[in-house]
Amino acid sequence: MNSVDASEHYELGATDLSPSLLTIVIDTNPHAWAALEDSLPLSKAIANILVFINAHLACNYANEVAVVASHSQKAAWLYPSHDDPRKRTADRDGDVVMNGASDTPAPETNKYRPFRIVEEQVTRNLKELMDSTTGDDLRGNMSTMLAGALTLALSHTNRRTLAWAEEHGGANAEDAAADGNGGGGGTSTNRYSASNEDERLQSRILVVSVSGSTDAAHQYIPVMNSIFACQRLSIPIDVCKLSGDAVFLQQASDATKGVYMALAEPRGLLQYLMMAFLPDQRSRRHLVLPTRVDVDFRAACFCHRRVVDVGFVCSICLSIFCEPPPGGDCMTCGTHLDIGDNAKPALLPRKKKKKKRVNGASGTGTPMSTPTPGP
Amino acid sequence: MASATSRPLEYLEGLPGTTFYKLYQQPSTALAIFRRMLPDLAKCFVMALLYLKDPLPTADLEVWVNAESKKERDNALSILGRLHILSTTLTGENVRAYMVTNPFAASLRQALMGAEDSHSFGVFSQAPEQTPTSIADLDEYARRQWEGVMGYMVGTSALMSGQRDTVNLSKGVKQLLQAGHLVEIRGNRVDITKDGFGFVLQDVNTQVWHILILYVESAEAIGMDSVEVLSFLFLLSSLELGSSYDKSHMTPNQLRTLADLADFGIVYQEDADATRFYPTRLATTLTSDSSALSNPVTGSLTGPVGPSGGSSSGFIIIETNYRLYAYTSSPLQISLISLFTNLKYRFPNLVTGKITRQSVRRAIEMGITADQIISYLLSHAHPQLRKHSAAQSNGKGVPASVLPPTVTDQIRLWQLERDRLRATAGFLFKDFTSLTEYQAPCQYAAEIGVLVWKSDRKRMFFVTRHEQVAAFLRSQKVGGK
Repeated sequence: MNSVDASEHYELGATDLSPSLLTIVIDTNPHAWAALEDSLPLSKAIANILVFINAHLACNYANEVAVVASHSQKAAWLYPSHDDPRKRTADRDGDVVMNGASDTPAPETNKYRPFRIVEEQVTRNLKELMDSTTGDDLRGNMSTMLAGALTLALSHTNRRTLAWAEEHGGANAEDAAADGNGGGGGTSTNRYSASNEDERLQSRILVVSVSGSTDAAHQYIPVMNSIFACQRLSIPIDVCKLSGDAVFLQQASDATKGVYMALAEPRGLLQYLMMAFLPDQRSRRHLVLPTRVDVDFRAACFCHRRVVDVGFVCSICLSIFCEPPPGGDCMTCGTHLDIGDNAKPALLPRKKKKKKRVNGASGTGTPMSTPTPGP
Repeated sequence: MASATSRPLEYLEGLPGTTFYKLYQQPSTALAIFRRMLPDLAKCFVMALLYLKDPLPTADLEVWVNAESKKERDNALSILGRLHILSTTLTGENVRAYMVTNPFAASLRQALMGAEDSHSFGVFSQAPEQTPTSIADLDEYARRQWEGVMGYMVGTSALMSGQRDTVNLSKGVKQLLQAGHLVEIRGNRVDITKDGFGFVLQDVNTQVWHILILYVESAEAIGMDSVEVLSFLFLLSSLELGSSYDKSHMTPNQLRTLADLADFGIVYQEDADATRFYPTRLATTLTSDSSALSNPVTGSLTGPVGPSGGSSSGFIIIETNYRLYAYTSSPLQISLISLFTNLKYRFPNLVTGKITRQSVRRAIEMGITADQIISYLLSHAHPQLRKHSAAQSNGKGVPASVLPPTVTDQIRLWQLERDRLRATAGFLFKDFTSLTEYQAPCQYAAEIGVLVWKSDRKRMFFVTRHEQVAAFLRSQKVGGK
């Protein structure tokens, strides 16, 4: 009978659940996949990932997906394709293939159509990517373009978020427009603020990583920048580690509250994906998800891109160096640093000194985030 | 979303288990049910279990879910159980474990991975088209047909004849509406019923589902297998808008269904003997949630509103002083609004009016509920209202409601003035011997969301659905011994 006195306020909020956008970054570094050949060949992994994509698309009519390949010399889109459709039908000489059959492939109807489109595009683009890779590209290049791939993923996410907000009206569109005009960093937080978390496009990034991070140390700065961007936009970065050891990716999932899993048994990829990586942000609130407790917080130095445990930090711009910069001048900001003459000091005193310097610098209003110098 | 999902869900729950077995043979059905009927958490459970070889022990599943989310978990599991998707078995070590039931699991796996020759997702028409039908044409067709049905029910076609070409409704449509008690036909006059009023105020997606469920229910009567019709509907929902499909693979019953659905604008075919058909947006968005549907369809379904409101989905502005402005010229929408509003002025693209106690009471006497009025207003709210509410909610934790709270509260209060009793069908559990024996099932019922009323003093509680509580009691007894 409580309802009669109408003391409770009725709220008919927008209960429609917004769709989610999943961007998958697949590390296609041929060296690392060659090492995995016995347990999980790339073709099998891709097949597993495609089933996972289908499962994601099956969860909601409006769910979206994007796939980026982080290859050894470039990052490339696998889905959606952004290239010119004419380019695809033209063969190597630039002639358009005229056999007619290629335009209308026999429509296969045993598969839900959105699933098929993704599958066809991903496999075709991946094949193109592999075909375009020459032996010269691979020689002496063991790493993967993770930074580029993450940046592509981020920009795609941003674009879709804006477009989605625009389509679905509300203040989000206005914010987005204001954002576009002013480009102010302050307003962008509104768009992603917690109050309307359920009403915006839920996006997340999944990195399927195989390469070791020591090769990727030269990308430390751009990778960290993308991580901070994700953190700011509250986009979780999930990491599914098949082999190798990724220092920066551990930090990525830790900073963005994503899931980090190093698979003990790569053959079970699909099950891992389905169980740990499929739930979107809304469901994650209810689930206990694997995260890593012992996160490797090591950084890479700015001078030689080495991963260091202990290093020198510039007191002005917080750049990290593995050894005193030549001439005592910071390579990033050019400040002359007064480094003691003791060539090999004990660890402890130097640490103390460093701390003092950092504290002094923060008093002068140094930005708290890591600086973003060009490599 | 609750109202949109509940009706098909309720209908499906009422089906016997064997029907589910037959239904789940089709990958498209499994996919559609998975996507449309399940809450988020249930989807996670199904997907996690789908590729597991062994059943997952119940304890493991409980560990996987946060302790605070027990209610959501039980709710998800209860829906999965009711739809016969998840079942519990005993593993070798006598541990209770969950697994996805078989025809469903196999079909869903097939849907995800593709299968040989199932033709579960329709066959494209291969023959070249003489007159290709564009998506805009399909939308127009769907809008015209659907509004024709609505107009027939509300009686606008008689009221405003000459406004537009009236759609000729087939006899089947009229019979279906009558069989569903949405209209009553007295002689030559068509009178809308209380249910009918409720129906016309719902959003399009809910309406389509309502009609389809009615259709399935009546299919048995005219000698069609309801399972076949139902799985055909789910197949329709997975087709692609704007392409044509071949009819030659279909069974006679499916062809018959197709012809009937064409009358509602759910599918389009040039004539009854055409070799191809096109699904319209009404069909392809059946398994999406209403937000995905509302913009394109209601936008076009609100009628030829002209350039001013052609692209936007909502057209109603309501102010805190109960004044209502509707940017529409559609006779159907105007007559719907006039059901609960005192209309004052009408301009070429705008009608204004005021929601008053009299107008709302009049509507309620006709059988319209306050919830229906509010959800109608909400689903047709002008983008300005949404923008305003979103701007308000920024910064504060609670999102502000789109409609002015004073208005929604008052509409409900006006309803409560009349309507002080509400009947709920259900089951009473009583005569518990001890308080502890009473408390456990009562708490369980609250967790799975079926508890309506309880009295700790009398050791009684009342639920809408008794099967799971009974199962819980049984399992408790077994556990106690």
